[in-house]
Amino acid sequence: MKNILSKLSLNQKLGLIAILLGLIALVAGNPFDSNEVKVNIKDIALSTVKNSDKIKPETLAEWLIEGKSDFVLIDLRNPEEFEKYTLPEAENIPLVTLPEAELYRNQKLILFADDNLRAAQGWYILKSKGFKNVYILDGGLEGWKNNVLFPRLSSNPTKEELSQFEKKKAIAKYFGGQALTDSGKVETKPEISLPASSSQQKTAGAPQPKKKKREGC
Amino acid sequence: MTSLAKKISELFTKDIEIVEVKPKPYSNPYLTGIGLGLVLLLSFVIMGRGLGASGAMSSLVAFGVQTISPEHATSNEFYKEYIGDGTTNPLKDWLVFEVLGVLVGGFVSGALAGRIKKRVEKGPKISKSKRLLFAFLGGSMMGFGAKLARGCTSGQALTGGALLNLGSWIFMIMVFAGGYAFAYFMRRQWL
Amino acid sequence: MNAPFFKFGYFNTEISLVIAFIIGIAFGFSLERGGFGSARILAAQFYLSNMRVLKVMFSAIVTAMLGVYYLGVIGFLDLKLIYMTETYVLPQALGGLILGIGFVIGGYCPGTSVVSFATGSLDALMYILGALFGIFVFGEVYPLIANFYNSTNMGVVRLPEALHLPYGLVVFLVVVMAVGAFALAEWAEKKFAFRNPENEK
Repeated sequence: MKNILSKLSLNQKLGLIAILLGLIALVAGNPFDSNEVKVNIKDIALSTVKNSDKIKPETLAEWLIEGKSDFVLIDLRNPEEFEKYTLPEAENIPLVTLPEAELYRNQKLILFADDNLRAAQGWYILKSKGFKNVYILDGGLEGWKNNVLFPRLSSNPTKEELSQFEKKKAIAKYFGGQALTDSGKVETKPEISLPASSSQQKTAGAPQPKKKKREGC
Repeated sequence: MTSLAKKISELFTKDIEIVEVKPKPYSNPYLTGIGLGLVLLLSFVIMGRGLGASGAMSSLVAFGVQTISPEHATSNEFYKEYIGDGTTNPLKDWLVFEVLGVLVGGFVSGALAGRIKKRVEKGPKISKSKRLLFAFLGGSMMGFGAKLARGCTSGQALTGGALLNLGSWIFMIMVFAGGYAFAYFMRRQWL
Repeated sequence: MNAPFFKFGYFNTEISLVIAFIIGIAFGFSLERGGFGSARILAAQFYLSNMRVLKVMFSAIVTAMLGVYYLGVIGFLDLKLIYMTETYVLPQALGGLILGIGFVIGGYCPGTSVVSFATGSLDALMYILGALFGIFVFGEVYPLIANFYNSTNMGVVRLPEALHLPYGLVVFLVVVMAVGAFALAEWAEKKFAFRNPENEK
C-alpha cells in the first residue's frame, strides 16, 4: 500500500484526498438542523438558575417604546388567538411548528403565550437545538395584561408606588390599555389589538433598515 | 582606448542580462485552487458571505452616475439599490474594499514573481488595437451579463458554486457553454 | 455555533471593511499565482490547451464546499446565516451565456481583469472600462428589462433540494465530477499542448 501511495504524484494524492472527503460526506449527515438533537441537560438546567432566561413585561414594554429592534417577539399560540390580539410586532409561530421555524441563532428570541407553560416548552425546544438567546416573557399575555395594559394601584400605595404608577399609566395608554385604581374588574377584552400585530414584521434578521446593505456580488 | 571602451560596455551589457528578471512559472493550479478555496471559506466563516468583483464595479458606476446627476440616479430603480437612502457613499461597500485588496494582492504576487510588465495580452495574429477593442467589447458584454445574472465568476460561480446554489450552478454551466461555443469565432485573436 | 462571526456581532461594519480589504489581498494574490493575470492563459481554456481556469475554479469550489459542509456538520458554522443569492433561472442562464461569450472575447472575467491590470496589462484596463460601460448600459435600460430581470425566481434553492438528494450525497457527487473533470483536463492539455501559451518561451 505504501508503495502505491508514494508512487502517486502530488496531484493524484490531492485527488485521492478529495474523493475520500467526499465519501465521508455520504455518511456524515446534514449540515442543516435536523429533528434529532443532542441535548446538554446540565447546561439547560444551569441557565434557569439566574433567571436570566426571563423577561418581565415591564422591561419588554420599555424596549418597545424605546424602539429597540434587536429582538424578535414570538407568539406561540395558534393563528386565531394571534389574530384576536397579540403584542406589537410579534411573529406567530405556533408551538407545534417551532422545530421547523426559520430562526436565526444570532437573534434574541422572546417567546410568549397566554402564560408561562407553552413559552417554557418552546424555550426547551430551542435550547435543545443550541439556541443561546432564548427568553420567556414572564407571565405571558396574562402578565402583560396585569402589569402593562391594566396596571393596578394597590389600595394603600407608598409614595414610591404612586410615582411609579404615573409612569405605568403612561405606558398603559401607549399600548392601548388603561390604568386601574383599585378593584376595577377587567372583563372587557381589550379590543385594542394594535393592528400592527397582523401586519408585516419581517424585522427578523439584519436590524439595519434597508440601508442598501446589499450582500450580493 | 577603444578596447577599454569595449571592456566597459561589455561590463554593462553583462549586468543588464543578469538584472533582467525572468518571470517565474505559475504555481500548481490545484494548490492555487485549494488556496483560493480556503480564502473563500475564511470569508464564509468570518463574514457569512463570499467573494465578488462585479458588484464593486456596479457600485463605482452608481457612484459615478450619482455624482454627475443625482436626480437621474434616484429615479432609476437599479442605481437606487446601490445608493440606498443617500446617507452612505456607495463606495463604502464591502465589495469595493475587497476589490481594492485584489488589486494590491495581484500586484504583490506579480511583483514577487517578476510578472509586472506593461503589455497587451494577445495572440500572435491580431493587432494591438484590435485586441484592445475586443477587450472593451468583451468587458461590456461581461458587465451586462453579470448584472443580469446577479454576479460574475467570483461571486456566482465560486461563491455560489461552493454553497451549492442552484442558480449559480446554472450560471456556471452557461458561462462555460458560452465561452466554448464562441471560441471558434475568436480563434484569430488568441491562437 | 458561533460562525459566521460577523453575523454574531463579533465586530462592526468598519472592521468588516478592513477585513474585506485583507481578504481581497489574499484573493488577488491567489488569482495571480494561478496565472489568472494573463488573458492568453484564461482564453486558452476555451481552446482546451490550458485548463487552469477549470482546475483552479473547481479546486476552489470543492475545497470551500467541503469546508462549509464539515464545519456545518460539526456545528461550528451556521449555514443558514451565509448569504445566498436567489435563483432566477432565465436571467442567470442568459447572463451566464453573455458573460461566457464576453469572457472569450475579452479574455477576462471581472476578478481576473483587476489582477491583470495590477500587473500592468493594458487590455485588462480596456476590459474594466468596458465592464463599467456595460453596467452603465444595463442601468440605463433597466426599466425596460426589469420584468425579465425579475422573472423565474425560485427563491433560495440549493442543489440538494432541487435534486431531492441528501446534502452529503451532492457533496460526494460534486467531488467525483470535479476529479473526473480534472482527469479530462489533464488529457486535453497533453493533446493540445502545442497551443498552450504557458509552454511558450
